[in-house]
Amino acid sequence: MSAGNHEAADWLPNDLGGVATAPFERIDHPMLPWEKRCHALADVLDFRKIISTEEKRRGVEALGESTINKLSYYERWAVCFANLLFAKGVITPEELALKMAEVGSRFAV
Amino acid sequence: MANHEHEHVDTEGSGDYTPGYYEILERSLAELLVEKGRIRADEIRREIEVLDSRNPALGARLVARAWSDANFKNRLLANGRKACEELGITSYEDTELIVLENTETVHNLVVCTLCSCYPRAVLGLPPDWYKLKPYRARAVKEPRTLLREFGTIIPDDTAIHVSDATAQVRYLVLPQRPAGTEDFTEDELASLVTRDSMIGVVQLGSIPSPSEVVR
Repeated sequence: MSAGNHEAADWLPNDLGGVATAPFERIDHPMLPWEKRCHALADVLDFRKIISTEEKRRGVEALGESTINKLSYYERWAVCFANLLFAKGVITPEELALKMAEVGSRFAV
Repeated sequence: MANHEHEHVDTEGSGDYTPGYYEILERSLAELLVEKGRIRADEIRREIEVLDSRNPALGARLVARAWSDANFKNRLLANGRKACEELGITSYEDTELIVLENTETVHNLVVCTLCSCYPRAVLGLPPDWYKLKPYRARAVKEPRTLLREFGTIIPDDTAIHVSDATAQVRYLVLPQRPAGTEDFTEDELASLVTRDSMIGVVQLGSIPSPSEVVR
């Protein structure tokens, strides 16, 4: 690595100002019900001082670029909430796995 | 679903709806937090109502009032949050609202390069393009070219000021009042103001005078 190679340090994954991207397209979609609930959950987590907006942003950044690029906006939030709630000891991975199986089974045909 | 505890997540209704993995994750997190007493289900319902109550019509009311009342405009530019309260628009979250005035010499554009911070108390939630990479990356690098792709031509002798929002500081653009609206009521003015003009990606066109309309 040359002494002048600082590109890796210049930008964190979510710090997009000035980086090269795909062309701009005026994309939008009506919010899905679960996306709206996910947003409401984020607001409640902030209001209840469990996860702040800034922690959420950093939590999404911490997913890393390749994961971020594979997930939609609210998918990132949901994964970030799980990670932060584990890290804060609010829920355990085991509890979440059991709950997801239970919720999934309610919709099973 | 008969279980009352889970009522708050049953908005898709019954039938053959199958949620995806991330929706099951979202439902599971919410239910666990409710079961543990960390949040209440009615708080999520209440926040959904708050989200539904916020839309660009609120920002348009602010803009129309500012165009109609110079003293209000000064208060709005001095402290956006307090001026909102005058119109009964509360801020949620502990955020500052900075209102940026477009003039003959300065055009303002709002972006959040880090994520998607947006003045949602007065505009509702942002469109997808505001949250996606190309807008965030280019707004601070080549705003004039980006604006051209919105059909917005900013003359070379007009400066473009780009403001980068954060979790704590949100920006709203006060567009220039269109020519030909001198006799408009505040409600009529508000009806002209679009979401995109308050993000700064479009300018509001002048209103043709009646004689021009006839022609």
